[in-house]
Order: sequence, then C-alpha cells, then structure tokens
Amino acid sequence: MPPESETGLPRRSFFAVGAGALLCSIGGEQVLLSKPGDAAKADAAARRIAAPRARAAATKPPPGADPVDQLKFPTPQPQPGGVRREFWIQARDALWDIVPTRPRRDQWHGRAVAGPSVYRAFVYQQMTVGFAAPLGPPRIPGPTLYAEVGDTLVVHFRNGLSERTGQALTMHPHGVKYNPDYDGVYLGDFTRAGGFIAPGDEFTYTWEATPDAVGVWPYHDHGPNHTLNTFRGLFGAVIVREKGAKAPDMEAVLFFHSLAPPVTGLERQFQCINGRAFAGNTPTLRAKAGQDVAIHVMGMDSNFHDFHIHGHRWKDPNGTFVDTPAVGPNETLTARFVEDNPGRWLYHCHVFTHQDGGMAGWYLVEP
Amino acid sequence: MSRIRIAGVALVAALAVPSVASAGQYPPPADPGAPQKPPKGPFHTLQVCKKDCKYKTIQAAVNKAKAGDTVKVKSGVYHEQVKISGASKRYLKLVGNPGSPSKVVIDSSRGKAAARQNGVWVTDADQVTVNGFTARHYNGNGFFVLNANGYTLKNLNATLGGVYGIYAFNSVGGTMSDSQASYNNDAGFYIGQTPPQTTPKRSTVTRVKSFGNVLGFSGTNMRYVTITKSQWFNNGTGLVPNALDSEKYAPDEDNVITDNDIFWNNFNYYAGAPFKRKRTSVGSVAYPVGVGLIIFGGRRNVVSNNRIYGNYLAGVGILKQIVLKQADAADPVGNQVHDNQFGLGGADLNGRELVYDGSGSDNCFGPNAGVTTTLPADGSTFAACPFQGANAFNGAAQTEAIGWAGDTTHEKFWIKHPHAPKKGYTPLEHYKK
Repeated sequence: MPPESETGLPRRSFFAVGAGALLCSIGGEQVLLSKPGDAAKADAAARRIAAPRARAAATKPPPGADPVDQLKFPTPQPQPGGVRREFWIQARDALWDIVPTRPRRDQWHGRAVAGPSVYRAFVYQQMTVGFAAPLGPPRIPGPTLYAEVGDTLVVHFRNGLSERTGQALTMHPHGVKYNPDYDGVYLGDFTRAGGFIAPGDEFTYTWEATPDAVGVWPYHDHGPNHTLNTFRGLFGAVIVREKGAKAPDMEAVLFFHSLAPPVTGLERQFQCINGRAFAGNTPTLRAKAGQDVAIHVMGMDSNFHDFHIHGHRWKDPNGTFVDTPAVGPNETLTARFVEDNPGRWLYHCHVFTHQDGGMAGWYLVEP
Repeated sequence: MSRIRIAGVALVAALAVPSVASAGQYPPPADPGAPQKPPKGPFHTLQVCKKDCKYKTIQAAVNKAKAGDTVKVKSGVYHEQVKISGASKRYLKLVGNPGSPSKVVIDSSRGKAAARQNGVWVTDADQVTVNGFTARHYNGNGFFVLNANGYTLKNLNATLGGVYGIYAFNSVGGTMSDSQASYNNDAGFYIGQTPPQTTPKRSTVTRVKSFGNVLGFSGTNMRYVTITKSQWFNNGTGLVPNALDSEKYAPDEDNVITDNDIFWNNFNYYAGAPFKRKRTSVGSVAYPVGVGLIIFGGRRNVVSNNRIYGNYLAGVGILKQIVLKQADAADPVGNQVHDNQFGLGGADLNGRELVYDGSGSDNCFGPNAGVTTTLPADGSTFAACPFQGANAFNGAAQTEAIGWAGDTTHEKFWIKHPHAPKKGYTPLEHYKK
C-alpha cells in the first residue's frame, strides 16, 4: 500500500477503496469514488485535462522525452489476400436499464428485483458509414469486431459526448497488433495521436490481425478516465480467426462485470453480464444439439470470476476437462464444445456473491 | 466551386483551375485556431422587427448582442447584409422562423454592391447558429461561415444567388440541416478548404434539398463531411467533391455521401436560368451538365447507399484532377462507390451509371444495383470493393470524359431516357420564365 502522501487520501478513505469503491488516477489527480454521485468528481477531473502536449504540432518535447517518442509510424495495410474491415463506432452516453424486465424480475429465483435500475451508461455504438445513422440501439457491450488473419481493422471512432460537458475517450484493443499511434491509450505528456479523443472529435485506428492475434480479445476505453468510463460500459470484443476458418455454429460473447453505486449513482450494486443483471435480463443463449458452440467470457471489472454452465463440461487450453474455470480482468476464456445435452440450463459466475447479485443467465438447448 | 478551365492545347489536358468565382473581397482564410470558450452568460434575447421593436435591423441587434445571446427576428423582409464577426459574437443564436423560413427574408436586391454580397456572414465566431431565414438576390452567398470552429445552419432557404447558397469555408466541424438552396449561380451548398486535422471534427449535411443550381453541392478540398438524407436534383451537376489549387489543402478527403437521392441533374443553365449567369471567363468552362456526382481528384471518399437516377450524362464518375499543380494530390485514391441503386429499378436510367478513367489506386466499385452502362464500356476500370493496388488506367475513357467538358452545347453527349414521374417534382432541363 502506498503511503498517504502518495495518494492524498486519508487512511480511512483508503481502506474504503477495498470495499467496492474506486480509486481513479485522472491526469495527475486521484479521485476516490465511494458512493453514488462521486462519479461527477472524476468527470470534472477528466474535463480539466487539456489535450496532451506531445500531440500539439511542432512543440518541443515534454520533460523526460525519449527519442522513441519522436518515431513516426506508417499506417499498416492488409497483407496480400487480406482486406480492410471498416467500422464506424461512436461513444455516447445513454440511459441503460440493468434489469429491463417489468416488473423487474430474477427468473432464476422467481422473485422481484427492487428498483431503480437505470443509469447513464457510456457505450460504443456502431454507426453506418460516415456516422450517418445508428446501426441499432445503444448496447453493452459494444459491437463485436470480426477479422481474419491478414486483415486490418480500420475503426473510425467518434467521441459523441457533449462538447460542453464531455471528456476525452479512446478505443484500446487487446490482442491485435498496433503501433503507438493506434494504441488508444492516454499517456500524459507522451500521449500519441489516438490516446486522447476529445468530445466531438474522431480518430481512425488501424489494427492488424496478425497470425498471433487469433483469438477473442476485449477492447475498452483507455483515455484519461479509463477505469470509470470502462466500468460505465465502454467495452466490447474483437474476434480474429484464421483465414477461411469456419465460425462456430453458435458463438456468444459474455462480459462479467459489476455496476457499483459510485459508477451508476444507484443505491445498490449489480453483478452483471453484458450490462444486465439476473436471469431473464442477462443474455439468454440458445443452441441445438449437435452444434459447435463457443462461449467467450471476459472479465471487465476488478474481480476474478468463475464461469460455470450447468450440465456441460469442456476442455481448457491444457486439455483438462473443466466446468468452472476462472477468468480475470480483461482475460478471455472460451468454452467450446459440441452440444449434447438439451434442456434449460443456468450459466453463472460461481463466485457466490456474484451469482447472487445477478451474474447468471439462461442457456436453452433444443434437441 | 464550379469553374474549370480549358487549356486549349489538347482536349485531354482540358480541365484546369477555376476562374475566380467573383465571391467578393473577404478576409483571407486563417487558421480557425483553438476553439473559443463557451460564454458563461447571463444570456439575453434581443428582438428585431420592422415596427415597435427596439431593433429595426438585424445588424443593429447583432452589434449589441454578446456572446451566447439570441437575436430573434420577426417576420418581414430585411434589406441588409448581416455580419456576425469575431469571438465576441461566439455562440450567438440568430433565429427567424424555423417553422416557416419564408416569413423572415433577407433580401439583397437593394443598396450598394458591398452591402449586397451576403445574406448572413459569420466570420471568426465559433458555434454560431442561424435558424429560420430565407436569403435571396445576394451577389455572393446566402449564408456564409468563414474561419469557425463549429456552426449550425438550419431551416434556411438560399435562393437566386450570385455564387453559393449555404457555404462554410476554412472551418472545422458544423451542421447544415433541414434547408434548401435553389437557383444559385454556383453551388447550392458548399463546404470547402477544411483544414486537415489529426482528430477531426465531422461536418454534417442532412435533410436538405438542392435544385436549380449550377452545382447542387461543391466540396473543394473538403474533409470529414457526411452528406446524407438529402435530395440533389435538377442541378447542372449534383455533387462535386473536388481538388483545386486555388484553395488550400488539396485534395478533398474522407467524406461520406450516403442515403441521398441524386436525380435529374440535367439543368442546362447555359440555355437560360433564373439567376444572372455570370459570363464564363475566357478559356473556362464549367463541369459538364448531366452528372449526378463526380469525384474530381480526392481520397477516401465513400459514396454508398444512394439512389441515383435520370442523370443524362452519368450517374457517378471518378476522374483524375489532371491539371492540379500539386501532382501528388491529383490521383483519386481509396474512393469507394458501393451499395448504390442506379436507374430507379430500370424506370429512370442514367445516361451512363458509372464513369471512371482508372487513374490512381485503391478505388473500388460495387456491389451496386442497376448498373447497365459504363465508361469504359467494358467495365475494365471498375475494381470490386474492397480493392487495393493500382487501378487499371484507361486513357481513352479519360479523354472521352474530359471531352464532355468541352462540349459547347452541353447536351451533345447525353444519353436521354424518359424519367419516371415523381409526385411534386418536375424535371428541369431548360428554364422557362
């Protein structure tokens, strides 16, 4: 634990961080989020951050600069036979209902869920070309980006937050290859082009689907206020396959994460899958016997989770049969199996406080 | 900007820089610089009307207004040029009648020439809104924004003008919406000379109508513009994203034209027009009449999901800007034309659906529906999307397409098909008083 002088926090507040609160470092400020309404403090700190110095044209290097900070990078092109896969993605705020059934219901236990359950989320929303129109309603997670080895993913990203009240955002992918301009990370004075996209601004990221990028990976905000804004809903998945590889018959992406009072402004904490809590609200997965099923699970909060599907088992990467493997923050596990067990099944996080807080859903298998 | 000059040496070297579009004397374009900070208020509303208001002219109220204030203009015809200039007028809202813009008219037909140049002119003032006006009979432009970070132009009607209808130049981000421009001696709508930006702000043109103009839309060296949900019809040429040396930052780049209706752009204004057609300078011609959309030099423009029909010369063309001095900006690169519907399901064909000389690289076409006739006829230049690499250049196609601009009848190369009737719309080829 760092001494108080490093955090600027009283000891009592610092211990509170361990009880589900967030300690955010935002542009040189440290902001403790421990109760509803605290997110406004982090947002205000984020808005105080000016565009990074390294981004300004022809300015002198910031203190501590290294020659690597002056490197220039070409925009990568697809490999022979690969294609540019273009996406238009806008980050925006949206009212999001964590428990949208009415009356609010936990179908697993057949009980009512006490409200309220609506908060102001931040989401990545896929748009038509030129951001002319939405390609569907706002949702958590953001769109799944598919590519094959040899392709480039060209992501036109727009920060659609209000220019008057918003804050800088980014898109940072895991797994795929990128040069520092397309990292999408805020690095203070050393921030490159894609690491600070102010409200109203756009940036086009180019990421490469290299052979070692095959897999399922998260992307998320990595701007100055990344922890809070990722927790608000700014995350999604990238899936890279071998060229010409057959997609599974049924494929699902599940993010296990929590929505806590300091993030939502709500009184209670929800344990969520894809922004929803409690079976009947979380994704209901469907498959048929005989299908090749792939369920990708990623952690997107500060906890570890155990992914369990009733009635099923599959091999982990070591070849060991499992039915409750663990997954950590921004890590991916894939349950892949040939479906052989029809019926109504529950899937859930097997951390008991998580499953009871809503981190559970239905898996319905037809014969 | 509509003028392109015939060099007169060989036909293939025909298209060149524009003549000066008699746009009047404006301050030179400057870097819009850092955005001006939003004003804090308190904000006030200043009323303008012909009688019984504190302000009898719009300009008097604008002069008195502070940043962020609203100037509300009541119905009437105002014979004045409104200038909104400088940071002290940032975030100003100039509001006429958004529901009925025809009731609040800025008419430039009277007074000295200097006062008849623009209807409303915004310069070096960020985030100004102009909403609910008609401008007419201006010598220059109806509504003109220069050197601004952000603007909102909506519920406007710009008609019978000397140059451009609704126009933003050297500006960063803005919106033109729910507006109409008709019978302008150059472009109805124009966004030009967008400064290149690392993290650009997009400009949007949406839900507008442009008809009876020399050009429906001009985009000289424009960037980051999305044009959507709009109608471009009965112009000489519909839309022209283009590269020119006469303005900074060539070429045009990263624009998207999607979900528009682009039809009947066969208005031969040479044979008569309701606006005063300025004499073409020696050796200069305009874009050929009868084209839906032409990219004349440009990079990474996307033309998709539009309905394009009844344009007698061509639906969509891409050509090298063959006489651009900045040679590295002349070739079209990375432009995409896909998922468009041509010819209204066969009911209203274009003379040729697609025209492309095969210059440049990474340009691609298709899938598009309803493509029946192309230049070149063998389709050899039309690489399918996505495409990377050098395109298949066809010199004969380039010569033929550029030759169209030299046609003094402006109709010789048309391939006319009957139009399908469209309720509420009448084709305009030859203007009759």
